[in-house]
Amino acid sequence: MSASLKDATRKATLTTPSDREIRIERVFDAPRDLVWQAFTDPKLVAQWWGRGNKLVVERLEVERGGHWRFVEHAPEGVHGFEGRFREVSPPERLSMTFEWDGFPGYVIIENMDFEELGKDRTRVVNVSQFYSTEERDGMLASGMEGGLNQSYAALDRLLATLV
Amino acid sequence: MVQYSIRLDSSFAALSDATRRGILERLGRGSASISDLAGSFEMTLTGIKKHVRVLEDARLVTTAKVGRVRTCSLGPRRLEDEQAWIAKYQRMLEERYDHLERFLRRTQRQERTDA
Repeated sequence: MSASLKDATRKATLTTPSDREIRIERVFDAPRDLVWQAFTDPKLVAQWWGRGNKLVVERLEVERGGHWRFVEHAPEGVHGFEGRFREVSPPERLSMTFEWDGFPGYVIIENMDFEELGKDRTRVVNVSQFYSTEERDGMLASGMEGGLNQSYAALDRLLATLV
Repeated sequence: MVQYSIRLDSSFAALSDATRRGILERLGRGSASISDLAGSFEMTLTGIKKHVRVLEDARLVTTAKVGRVRTCSLGPRRLEDEQAWIAKYQRMLEERYDHLERFLRRTQRQERTDA
């Protein structure tokens, strides 16, 4: 692989079109079918989803309404993640809910589009939506919660300790 | 990670009850009065007030009384935790895609070797 192509592949686009969502776009030097498998085959998922940590794929029912549940064994603790599939359209689109055991009841909706850019290149566009942000913003706009910037500054400091 | 866990752990006591989790979920969709909540959860006003008090003590809920109506909303703690969780989620997502990229590269290399 040439250096420039490698750089282009590594370059990720991350934007937040609104407070309600996070959008990540990545181009991989791999055929779309393989990228799809990486998300839907438990044996393959286990090899990358845990970010280098051991990952146990407890459930992965890749169909509309199907459950998924992954448990990540990180050095600082065990984290369970789970949800249900909302849309499964191989090899183009996956949509699912995402919840972390540590913050129960807070549901994120993940939408993934897999675009073929040629025989061996695939773009994945991941848009994650946070359903309750609108309400939160409405509350903040109403001035109910003061000192928000201080909170954010405190949050920045807190997050710096999490890395 | 440690500080974050402690903050969340102290929320867990308040969140250990299904009704209280339900109240938070309900307030996530918008503010509600004590009597709205009592109606939704088929509980007495006194019962709901007790739950709201626990959530209030944990700063998960705030209440304000206007006239005879006490209105409950999500509290500052919940908002901060939510923000922290979103930021953590975003970082995890990026890391996950980094690892997917490495995985695909490894797999492709393997395939070329096999071929």
